[in-house]
Amino acid sequence: MTASATISMPYILPSGRLFARTGQAMASHVVLVIFGGGVRHQEAIGQRYLTSQNLEIEGNIMYNMLTGEAPDIKIVYGTDTADGQPGGNPINAVLNTTLQEQGTLFPEVRYSAGGTGHFGGLSTAVSGYYGLSQQGLQQRPLHPTIFEYLRRFGGYRATDTWFIGNGIGNSTPLLNHSIYQGFGADYGGNFFAPNVTFGQQGEDYLLGAKIFHPEEELDPIRQMQAFLNHNFLAEGKEIPNLKNTDEEKQSIKEFIKEVFERQATDQIARPPVMDNGDLSTISYATEVLRWFKPKLTVINMSAVDSCHASFTGYLQSLHRGDHAIGFLWKYIQTQIPEMAGNTTLLVMPEHGRNLDPNGILDENDWLSFDHDSDPNSRRIFTMMAGPNVPSNLVVGSENNPVGDAADIALTIADILGVKNEVINTGLMSGSARSLFDRI
Amino acid sequence: MRYHYLSFLFLMLLISCTDRSYVYEVETLSIEPNNAEKDKEKTTEQYLNIVYANLFQTALSPNQLVDMTETITSIGDKQLAYETILAKLITDPSIAIPSNEEMRADLDLFISDTYKRFLVRLPSEAEKSWWKNYIKVRPNLTPDLVYFAFASSNEYYYY
Repeated sequence: MTASATISMPYILPSGRLFARTGQAMASHVVLVIFGGGVRHQEAIGQRYLTSQNLEIEGNIMYNMLTGEAPDIKIVYGTDTADGQPGGNPINAVLNTTLQEQGTLFPEVRYSAGGTGHFGGLSTAVSGYYGLSQQGLQQRPLHPTIFEYLRRFGGYRATDTWFIGNGIGNSTPLLNHSIYQGFGADYGGNFFAPNVTFGQQGEDYLLGAKIFHPEEELDPIRQMQAFLNHNFLAEGKEIPNLKNTDEEKQSIKEFIKEVFERQATDQIARPPVMDNGDLSTISYATEVLRWFKPKLTVINMSAVDSCHASFTGYLQSLHRGDHAIGFLWKYIQTQIPEMAGNTTLLVMPEHGRNLDPNGILDENDWLSFDHDSDPNSRRIFTMMAGPNVPSNLVVGSENNPVGDAADIALTIADILGVKNEVINTGLMSGSARSLFDRI
Repeated sequence: MRYHYLSFLFLMLLISCTDRSYVYEVETLSIEPNNAEKDKEKTTEQYLNIVYANLFQTALSPNQLVDMTETITSIGDKQLAYETILAKLITDPSIAIPSNEEMRADLDLFISDTYKRFLVRLPSEAEKSWWKNYIKVRPNLTPDLVYFAFASSNEYYYY
């Protein structure tokens, strides 16, 4: 018989508190994929494929995540076939066991307040709070984000929390911290929009950036900066920053350099099919996971929003989003030993889409769908898998919705052991509960 | 008698000429803001335009500005983003920067020029003294590191 003991070491948080975490962590890492862009419930959880187009063809085109048979006719969601049929070649499943079987599915979650807009949905997901300013865009979340809660109450470093955006539009880069007093940038998460950072702009203006020698060059630079900054710091004036330490900044700069090098030598892990921005975002996200092994990584996808003008494009993006998530989960479990077996994966669309079409026809003469806060656009789902998550469990149904879009931030706090501290702030929406408390 | 009369008149003429002519000139005075008056943050676009002009002594093109701004926006930590872009710019061989020898040949001039170029003010005597001493005792310190420190200082981010 062996005996084990746990020794708790005190650590000082930026807030100056010791032993802030009062809860027991359920996993060491959390990865939240916001299946963004507005996923219509019928084609996702409902597996009704083309029934909205008055074609009685059903089937599951998200077979890494959901259990169910794929459609067998009118296949448009895959890659082009050798004989030129657009989308006629479905992408092979990446996972042998669906995430639904591996974990718990909440098939009928509600986006219960506010308009079903992208920024509102994303802001609610990361903050657990529905409120937005009057301006909406170009405005950071009003209440603290999960990044700030974790850093303030969990004592995590800036590089322990990452938001990987699908791009820089739609105010996405503003979601890594709020403007709430006592939280804010000092507790914000790091952010990359990797398709820009490592895309053409990044190659033009970041690739080849000098990495200073830590002692011979960086130390003198910091000394000179400190001298120059002396008066300004006394007045509290400084360049906005996330309080990455010098060591963390150096690590991020080396990471940027390495990604460019790995990109040039084709070493970056790619999903088997990589033909849209979401798949590219996920590919870069694996680099962030591999390098930093963050405690929390939030990844935003958006390609399904093509549904505003192309139902066919929407189906293809839905299929690729599922492919991306399957690839990501497999990569974590097989390529990052430090995260395998102790990472919880959460997946949730930021909002749904309308029940009725908008009248725009695509190349297949299929109707498109917007998202303007009708009841159907409030129907979303949440899925989770990982340690301490019951497997093969479905909670809720169409007649018994369980879960709220504001739950996901508190669920992350719960998984990483700071749920009580977050609840005690009183800053999340009243509807927010940990999904573990809803099981 | 007539001679005395003319002499008297000439003397009176001289005494009566009391008008003076004034010549006004403009004295060159250098007026630079002190750092305490810099209380407005530069926008990303302002920062990039100015840092590029300061480093290369030429203007940034509109397309470059858009691309560089997007690159900055794609990184969450603005301080880190600025430093990384700056670390790229100083590798450009067309940067307008004195050589190490030129810097050390006239430290007073280098320090004053650098303050004027980046911070739009003259250094105080205390600042000048600190820099002279700092550079003198570090033979390996090169002008690009000094420029980097100035362009990534908090004062540079304000105007």
